Amino acid sequence: MSLDDAQIVNVNPQQQSPDTLQNSSSHDGIQSKSWRASSVQEVGFVDFGSKSVPQGAESEGFSMSMSHREINNEDSRLVYVNDALKTNERFEFAGNSIRTAKYSVLSFLPRNLFEQFHRVAYIYFLIIAILNQLPQLAVFGRGASILPLSIVLLVTAVKDAYEDWRRHRSDRIENNRMSFVLVNDRFQQKKWKDIQVGEIIRFSANDTIPCDIVLLSTSDPTGVAYIQTINLDGESNLKTRYAKLETLSRVPEKDRMNGLIKCEKPNRNIYGFHATMEIDGKHLSLGPSNIVLRGCVLKNTNSAVGVAVYAGNETKAMLNSSGAPSKRSRLETRMNREIILLSVFLIALCTVVSVCAGVWLGRHRDDLDMLPFYRKMDYSEPVAENYNYSGFGMEILFTFLMSVIVFQIMIPISLYISMELVRVGQAYFMIRDDKMYDETSNSRFQCRALNINEDLGQIKYVFSDKTGTLTENKMEFKYASILGVDYSGEGTDFDGEQRGYCIQVNGQVWRPKMMVKVDKVLLRLSQTGNNMKANEQIYDFFLALAACNTIVPIVVDTSDPSEKLVDYQGESPDEQALVYAAAAYGFMLMERTSGHIVIDIQGERQRFNVLGMHEFDSDRKRMSVILGCPDGTVKVIVKGADSSMFKIIDKSRNLDVVRATESHLHSYSSIGLRTLVVGMRELGVPEFEQWQSSYETASTAVMGRVALLRKVAINLENNLNIVGASAIEDRLQMGVPEAIESLRKADIKVWVLTGDKQETAISIGYSSKLLTSNMSQVVINSNSKESCRKSLEDALITSRKFVVSGDPHAGGSGALIIDGTSLVYILDSELEEQLFQLANNCAVVLCCRVAPLQKAGIVALIKNRTDDMTLAIGDGANDVSMIQMADVGIGISGQEGRQAVMASDFAMGQFRFLVPLLLVHGHWNYQRMGYMILYNFYRNAVFVLVLFWYVLFTGFTLTTAVTEWSSVLYSVLYTSVPTIVVAILDKDLSRRSLLTYPQLYGAGQRQESYNAKLFWLTIADTLWQSIVVFFVPLFVYWKSDIDGSSLGDLWTLAVVFLVNVHLAMDVIRWSWISHASIWGSIIATCICVIIIDIIPMLPGYWAIFDLASKGSFWICLLGIQIAAIVPRFGIKMFIQHCKPSDIQIAREAEKFGNSMESRGAEIEMNPPRR
Amino acid sequence: MSSTPSAAAAADSLRRNSKRPKYSRFTQQELPACKPILTPRWVISAFLLVTIVFVPIGLASLFASRDVVEIVDRYDADCAPSGSTRDKVRYIQSIADKTCNRTLTVPKHMKQPIYVYYQLDNFYQNHRRYVKSRSDQQLRSQSHENDTGSCKPEDNANEMSIVPCGLVAWSMFNDTYSFFTNNSQQLPVNKSGISWKSDRDHKFGKDVFPKNFQNGTLIGGAHLNKSIPLSLQEDLIVWMRTAALPTFRKLYGRIEVDLQAGDVINVIMQNNYNTYSFNGKKKLVLSTTSWLGGKNNFIGIAYLAVGGLCFLLAMTFTIIYMVKPRRLGDPSYLSWNRNPGGH
Repeated sequence: MSLDDAQIVNVNPQQQSPDTLQNSSSHDGIQSKSWRASSVQEVGFVDFGSKSVPQGAESEGFSMSMSHREINNEDSRLVYVNDALKTNERFEFAGNSIRTAKYSVLSFLPRNLFEQFHRVAYIYFLIIAILNQLPQLAVFGRGASILPLSIVLLVTAVKDAYEDWRRHRSDRIENNRMSFVLVNDRFQQKKWKDIQVGEIIRFSANDTIPCDIVLLSTSDPTGVAYIQTINLDGESNLKTRYAKLETLSRVPEKDRMNGLIKCEKPNRNIYGFHATMEIDGKHLSLGPSNIVLRGCVLKNTNSAVGVAVYAGNETKAMLNSSGAPSKRSRLETRMNREIILLSVFLIALCTVVSVCAGVWLGRHRDDLDMLPFYRKMDYSEPVAENYNYSGFGMEILFTFLMSVIVFQIMIPISLYISMELVRVGQAYFMIRDDKMYDETSNSRFQCRALNINEDLGQIKYVFSDKTGTLTENKMEFKYASILGVDYSGEGTDFDGEQRGYCIQVNGQVWRPKMMVKVDKVLLRLSQTGNNMKANEQIYDFFLALAACNTIVPIVVDTSDPSEKLVDYQGESPDEQALVYAAAAYGFMLMERTSGHIVIDIQGERQRFNVLGMHEFDSDRKRMSVILGCPDGTVKVIVKGADSSMFKIIDKSRNLDVVRATESHLHSYSSIGLRTLVVGMRELGVPEFEQWQSSYETASTAVMGRVALLRKVAINLENNLNIVGASAIEDRLQMGVPEAIESLRKADIKVWVLTGDKQETAISIGYSSKLLTSNMSQVVINSNSKESCRKSLEDALITSRKFVVSGDPHAGGSGALIIDGTSLVYILDSELEEQLFQLANNCAVVLCCRVAPLQKAGIVALIKNRTDDMTLAIGDGANDVSMIQMADVGIGISGQEGRQAVMASDFAMGQFRFLVPLLLVHGHWNYQRMGYMILYNFYRNAVFVLVLFWYVLFTGFTLTTAVTEWSSVLYSVLYTSVPTIVVAILDKDLSRRSLLTYPQLYGAGQRQESYNAKLFWLTIADTLWQSIVVFFVPLFVYWKSDIDGSSLGDLWTLAVVFLVNVHLAMDVIRWSWISHASIWGSIIATCICVIIIDIIPMLPGYWAIFDLASKGSFWICLLGIQIAAIVPRFGIKMFIQHCKPSDIQIAREAEKFGNSMESRGAEIEMNPPRR
Repeated sequence: MSSTPSAAAAADSLRRNSKRPKYSRFTQQELPACKPILTPRWVISAFLLVTIVFVPIGLASLFASRDVVEIVDRYDADCAPSGSTRDKVRYIQSIADKTCNRTLTVPKHMKQPIYVYYQLDNFYQNHRRYVKSRSDQQLRSQSHENDTGSCKPEDNANEMSIVPCGLVAWSMFNDTYSFFTNNSQQLPVNKSGISWKSDRDHKFGKDVFPKNFQNGTLIGGAHLNKSIPLSLQEDLIVWMRTAALPTFRKLYGRIEVDLQAGDVINVIMQNNYNTYSFNGKKKLVLSTTSWLGGKNNFIGIAYLAVGGLCFLLAMTFTIIYMVKPRRLGDPSYLSWNRNPGGH
């Protein structure tokens, strides 16, 4: 299998988008997530830069401190524009050559070893190997004791070296790319690695940016540059960046630019940038919208010029490129507990041996000189002295240490390595599963965290985001309410001849890329011009939709040269939908620069000056744009969430319109649509001038710009006339109801946490079958802590009835619906406990209007109070905190950027893949891993015990009858491959059965494959098997002339055969690979034993051949296998028959298929007894 | 029509760009596989099969063991003056004549070859210090004569390497036995071929001669004839195959005539070997062999026990299956059907 697929290694940071958020400080993460918090239901009017708009008091403080902070000389960097020498003379800023490779040829060995020895397992290996090097303790020869450790180190080192070589190669390619850099007033080609901070660089369209630059000028007269950040955060839409007006007109070749940029020290926040520029004596402030980061691509802009401020490894992209989060699986945590038990066993065994050795030495204290097999004294020297005897106490200590060396594999260190391999294998199969391939986004399943595969089989709670996770996040304009009139009539399909709206430009036909279903009445009204009042309102409404956004129209060629498509690129899918809708009704946005927009209104091209824009932020929950209309009037258009809009709408006028709109909004949201309200008013000259001056002051403010701008916006956005409201449909993803049904059957509780309105959330709940009509809903909407307490108490009493009335899985149980305001009072207070109980009593929990941090809080609520595994799934930046909080985080690689994917452990294209992921792969992974751990315990312990029994017959001196090579190779070669192969390939049930009977998932939730009982049973079985393996040959060859090597070979073969037969007994599906690995390792063992025995240098020369010529050997071997296996086999068969597990029955049904089918149908026909 | 090729090309490029995993039965984990399920019939047959195989083998082993005739004579106590251990040790370390006469009676007809063993009890030939104290290099070729590093504390004497070095060789057993029939006729003991041919040919060198052996302060056991190469010193070769267990036998030789029941054999032995200092026992064993080796009832009994147990299990399972039958794959046993909503 190819490592590339399974291993998530950041090989080429330029191609892989660097992780953006989860590694930055959590504060940054949450802050930059917050912009999404409300845009899930309102339209987000944000561009790249304004993502860091804060939300909530906590993050606000942070942002204030950010903007208020004086950039001190100590923690700032000074960049002299176009003067790389001066820039770099005081501080050596990093050059632009990057280095993702970890090692050089020289540093490879020490660094790689150092990193490898960070693992406890390897240190254990190492200590044992070092102990063994002491002459007093040398149990194994040098070679034999170092071999296993060196094999492991070597394999890892080779893997690391290969990965690093690939990194070196990609670094080299990256560093040798070319860019145009201003040298001596001419732009010359320069390799990327030679670019320095302070240099001026020019790009053309489609160039990749080599380092973080501040834009100076662009080919656009208003200084706009469009960039694509797909390499940075995976978002493919275009984002706008601006050059400052003051630098715009400069031509770098001709008039020398001299300026000084004072900016922050390099940091990893890709959404934040804070700097000031001093040019021609003027102070300008620079923000995130003025910087273009390394890895971005210039699009739709002919050229741009910028000055490098961060280069090489100090660029934000490079600072963010680090690996996936590391978690530890539940199974592994449990396993570590048992490993501690095994260490106790190990110490017990060693103590027994050393105590016995002490007693033996004590009893023979006087004979030690004379014992022919001990001979304490060495008489060969002139003065007889003790040979290898350091006194009674020391001998006991040495015996103890030696027994640790001999019994070292009691602690199954190889298990950790096997587990890693198995997880790679499992990840390979999950990634390659074509049932989890998403056609629409062309994305495979991604395993980002490699060590929690088996957790997928034990999930009890699923926390799901709604928008983009349950729904497609592909917005479609549905209904409009204008001037109190609801235009939700029969949305007609586009008529054959009409094919949507189109316009003529220079003899070419331009049409929007997407068709929108239009309301015929509204369409007719919108085309009749703006003479009547109603029509005026309609005009304003669509003008608002077309103008009040940050959408960039891009004209795309089609195969037909006379036809062009207009593609609306923008951050928010809601905005796109609105602009497409406006276009369909004849208000087609054609051009946007930072200073003006051009809208084709019913065939007439009109130019509006954009005098100012107050971008969306999650506090105001609205955005506004100030338009200078062609007729000279100035209008402010505001668009936002209904809750925030109704506060600033002048209700004294048009009260009935407001009322009607409100009722329309209610009906829209109750069928699951996302709503927006549009308001507008004309600005008088004095008011406009007043606004303009404060706007300019605020936007050039060096400190506290964001807060100042918000204040300006709040002052402006008031007394609006209501224009109308829009409703956008966000369709449910394919297969969501079925997936939720399956998860519910699997006894997984699905909670939906959404930023949406309650009505929208509930309606989506119904359409996704999360809620059913026979569920009683408990709704908690409270505005204070006291009322929260009261409603919680009431709800608890109600909810007890659901539980008493029977099965919580039956349809007629409770659904808890709670909103974010109530959660503010409940989370982090003593009410949490009540909420937890209430939620436990309810089958469904739906949280609406929750902020990102609250999502994490809800996950934590469950995580801290139960042992159950939690899974969070989401697609947006607002889900990041929840994804990181949950035991398993899943990112949907969908519409809303990639922050969620970057923070997740697994990523996939569709919500419905959760079903195969959990029910099939999770189940398999858990079963396989659980079995493998137990088997590894058994496998190593049985061998150690055989060694231990023998030690009791050697005067407690830790002789091993098994050759040292065999004891070393035992866990490395003789028995390692089959367990790994079985743990990767064995399937207890077919995919079909697992999907047909989701209840089978319960095996993982109930921890059926790995628990304390199974552990102790395994240990008991191990004890019995080791006794059989050891004592049968002992009794057979007692008082015979058998030599140690022969008996050792017999034990070796018996143990290896036994553990493989034991595995073979438990294998469920025998494919050729399992056959090959199990029988292959038996054969490999025989070959190894033979090879060891044909080396005349070793005492055991020829032993195996002598042994094999004896009948008793074969009889012994056969007898051992059967006698050792019979108890396990008998008990297993007994349990299979009398207390069959669900898995067992399903397996039988699978094999004797038809019987289950007919019965299954029967069961479905007869409603289950409840 | 003109658009068709480009459309096909586009579709083709789409397919090439697609990340859809390539379908194979392996990657989809659908390799053809055999999924054995042990039905009651299989379980019972398996147990019965074990019974059928094990009981005859057990019986055959028991018969084989019964046919083996074994004479065991412990002589360490009788061939030394009675008294304390110290007296015995002093006796065995003296240079007095330690000839000892023993009389054995053949209980049953013994067919040739009759193997003569000496058996030592409580002698830890598997003791760690002991098994390590040898040099297989040195035994094998003359050029490694001075490879005695591993032989301590018996690596050299009088500042010269000992060949063969090490405790194992040093402590070599040196009692000797001669057998006489009742009428004083000597029973020849064939001492050739008592060691493994592989050892003689490859492990012990033809050019390695004993040297400086038993020249140290302490004499451990047998002396070796300096003119015979190690590869022909079969007693040494046998001794150097260290025993696995603290009670062991080693082959002394073969008597290649039949002995009749009631025959009386006189053994004249030299009781040289010191086992008194560690309370070890010395025994002389004459034994015939069977296909299974020496006399040992354990295999037979164990096989009969396992066979019997499996028969019992087969019966138990038959009863269980009859009393409490369960249709395989019966969905009514599924936990969610058996106990709706109960977990």
